[in-house]
Amino acid sequence: MSLTTPLKNPPQSTGRGKRSTAPTGLSLARRLGPGVFTLAVGLLLAVLLIQAQGFQPLPTILAGLDYAVGDAKSIARTLAWGLPLFVATMGVALAYRSGMFNIGAEGQIYAGAMAAALTGAYIGPMFTGLHLFLCLAVSALTGAAVAAGLGWLRAVWNVDEVLSTLLSNYIIMLFCAYLATAPLRDPARQSGTTKAVHETAMFAELVPQTQLTSALFVVIILCAATWWLSERSVTGYRWRMTGESPAFAAAVGINVRRSRIGSMATSGALCGIAGALLVTASQGRFWTEIGTGIGWDAVLLAMIARARPLSAVVWVLVYSVMRSAARGIEQVSTVPSELSLILISGIIIAATARAGLFSRLAGLNKLLIRSEGK
Amino acid sequence: MRLTTPILLAALACLPTQWTKDLNVGLEGGMLFGAFGGVVFGLTFGSGFAAVTLTIAAGVLSGLIFGWLITRLNVNVFIAGIVLNIFAGAATVYLLRSLFGVKGTLSAPGIPSLPTYRIPFIDGIPVLGPILSGHTVLTYLSWAIVAVAIFAVKNTVLVRHLKAAGEHPAALAAAGGNVQRMRILAQVWCFALCAIAGAQLSIGQLTLFTEGMTNGLGFVALAAVIFCRGRVLLLTLMSVVFGLASAVAIQVNDSVMPPQIAQMLPYLIAFVGLIVLARTTKDGGVRIATPNMES
Repeated sequence: MSLTTPLKNPPQSTGRGKRSTAPTGLSLARRLGPGVFTLAVGLLLAVLLIQAQGFQPLPTILAGLDYAVGDAKSIARTLAWGLPLFVATMGVALAYRSGMFNIGAEGQIYAGAMAAALTGAYIGPMFTGLHLFLCLAVSALTGAAVAAGLGWLRAVWNVDEVLSTLLSNYIIMLFCAYLATAPLRDPARQSGTTKAVHETAMFAELVPQTQLTSALFVVIILCAATWWLSERSVTGYRWRMTGESPAFAAAVGINVRRSRIGSMATSGALCGIAGALLVTASQGRFWTEIGTGIGWDAVLLAMIARARPLSAVVWVLVYSVMRSAARGIEQVSTVPSELSLILISGIIIAATARAGLFSRLAGLNKLLIRSEGK
Repeated sequence: MRLTTPILLAALACLPTQWTKDLNVGLEGGMLFGAFGGVVFGLTFGSGFAAVTLTIAAGVLSGLIFGWLITRLNVNVFIAGIVLNIFAGAATVYLLRSLFGVKGTLSAPGIPSLPTYRIPFIDGIPVLGPILSGHTVLTYLSWAIVAVAIFAVKNTVLVRHLKAAGEHPAALAAAGGNVQRMRILAQVWCFALCAIAGAQLSIGQLTLFTEGMTNGLGFVALAAVIFCRGRVLLLTLMSVVFGLASAVAIQVNDSVMPPQIAQMLPYLIAFVGLIVLARTTKDGGVRIATPNMES
C-alpha cells in the first residue's frame, strides 16, 4: 500500500501538481482541455452503443445530427424542446453556487406547470401580454415558495436539503397528479389533464410548425439575468461566498441564512417558470406526465457545468442537440432515444473521473520512466 | 410485510456506505438494475435461483466498479450516485427496447417467480401466520441479514474497520487496515443487496419489469438510513414503518382517500421524520457528502 492511500480525498491541487510534471503528451491533453476529452468519451460511447445494435455508427450519427440541426426548421424544433431546460438548469446551477443542492427541480417544475395551467385556464381571457406575464409570475411564485420553504428548513432548522428536496419531488408530483385527476380534471378528456388554457395565455409561434415560440426571448432574458445575478451582482457574490465557506461568509458579515433562502427561492422561481413554459409554450394544459425527467436533466447538466451559468448554457445546447439527434437516430434505426441520457451519464462520470484518471496515468508513466532509467 | 422487504434490503445495503462516509445515494438505480437483472436472468435461465444468484454477481461486479471509481479515480460519491439513478432509468429502458423490443412493461410467462415458503407451525396461528409465513426466501434472508448485522456491529473487527475508514482513516491505516479496500467493500455490499432488493421487487412480488418500477423506494430507504445514523435496530424499525405506510397506500379504499394522496404517505412520513430528527438531535442535520462546486 502506498503512503498516499490513507488520504481519503486528496486535495485537487496535488493531482494537478502531478500532472504538470507529467510528460509532454499529457500536458498537451490537459491544455486541449476537458471539453475535447468529454466529447471524445461521448462519441466513443455513442459509436459503441450504436455498433452494438448492429448499425453503421457514423452514418447513423450523421443522420441523427441532420435531424437535429440539419435545417432552420429542425434547429428551431431542437431549441423549442430545450427552452424549459435552459431555465431549469440555470435555476439549479444558481442554487448549487450557494452550496444548496436543489435536487427538487422536478417537483418545482410540476408545481410551476400546474400553477401556470390554472392561471391560464381559470383567469381570463385577457390581453395576451398581461395574461402571459401573470401565468409566469404565478408559477415563479409557486416554485419559489416551495424551494424557499425547503431552503428555510435547511437554513434555520438544519434539515438536509438534499434529502428534503428529493422527497418533495414525489410529494409535489403526486399532489399535482391528484389535482389533475380528481378535482380539477377536464371532464371532456379521459386522462388526467386540467382544462386547456386560454389562447391569450399562449406564446405566439415564431417558426410555424416547430413549437418555437416567442418564449425564446423570455428564456434569453432569464439566462442573461441569472448570469448577471450569479456572477456580477453583490447578491450573487454573497451567495457564492456562502457556498464556498459558510463560516467565512458569516465572519465577514454575510447573512448566511438569508443567502441560503434567497438563492433557493430564486432557484425555485426559475424552475417554476420552466414548468410554466411547458404549459404556455407547448402543451397548453397540465397533464400528469408533463415534465417527465426535465428536472433530473437540469440537475445533471448543472453538475457537469460545475454550476457556472455560461458553461451551463453551452451544456444545455449540447444536450438539446444530443437529445434531438437521438430521436432522429431512433427514427432511422432501432436505437432507442434513451441513448442521449446514457451518453450524458457516461460523460459526467468521465468528466469527474478525469482528474483522477490522468494523475494515475501520470503515476504509471513515472514508474515506467524510473524503471527504464534503472 | 411484503412491501417492507425491498426497503429493508436497500436500507441495509446503504448502511456500510454510511459507516465509511461514502453514503451511496444511488440506491434507486441499484434497485432498478437489480429488478431488471432478476427478470432478464430469470427469463434466460428459467429458474428463480439462477436469476437471484446472477443478479447478485452482477451487483458485486458493479459495486467493484463503483468503488473503484470513487476511491481510485476520486469521483465524488454524491455525483456518482445521482448519475447512477438517472443512468439506471435510461439504461433499463434502453436495454428493454433493444433486447426485447417492448416499451413500458415486460411481462412474459417465462419469467420465473420466487417460490414462497410456509413455516409449518406458525402458519396456523391466526394473526402471526400471515405476517411471518408465506414469503419468498429473500424476505427471510433480509431478516437474517438484520440479525447478522446486529451481531456483526457488536462483535466483529470488520465493522469496526468499516467505521474507522469513515471516521478516522489515518488511524485505520496506522493500525494496518486498508482504507480503500474497506470503502470498496462497503460499495460491493451495497450493490449486492440493492440487487437482491430489486430482484425481490421484480421476481419476488410481481414477475414483471416496468420502467422506473422502484418509484422512489430507494429514496425512502435512503431517508431511513439517514435517520438511523448507523444503528441497525433503528434502521430496521424505520424500514418497517415505511413498509407499512406503503402497504396502507395500496390497501386504502378510493372512497376514503384519493390514491395519489395515499401514495404520498411514505414520502410524507420520511419528510416529517427528517424535520423532527433535525429538530430533536444535535447532530440531526447530517450532511450528505455533497461536492464543492469550486473544486
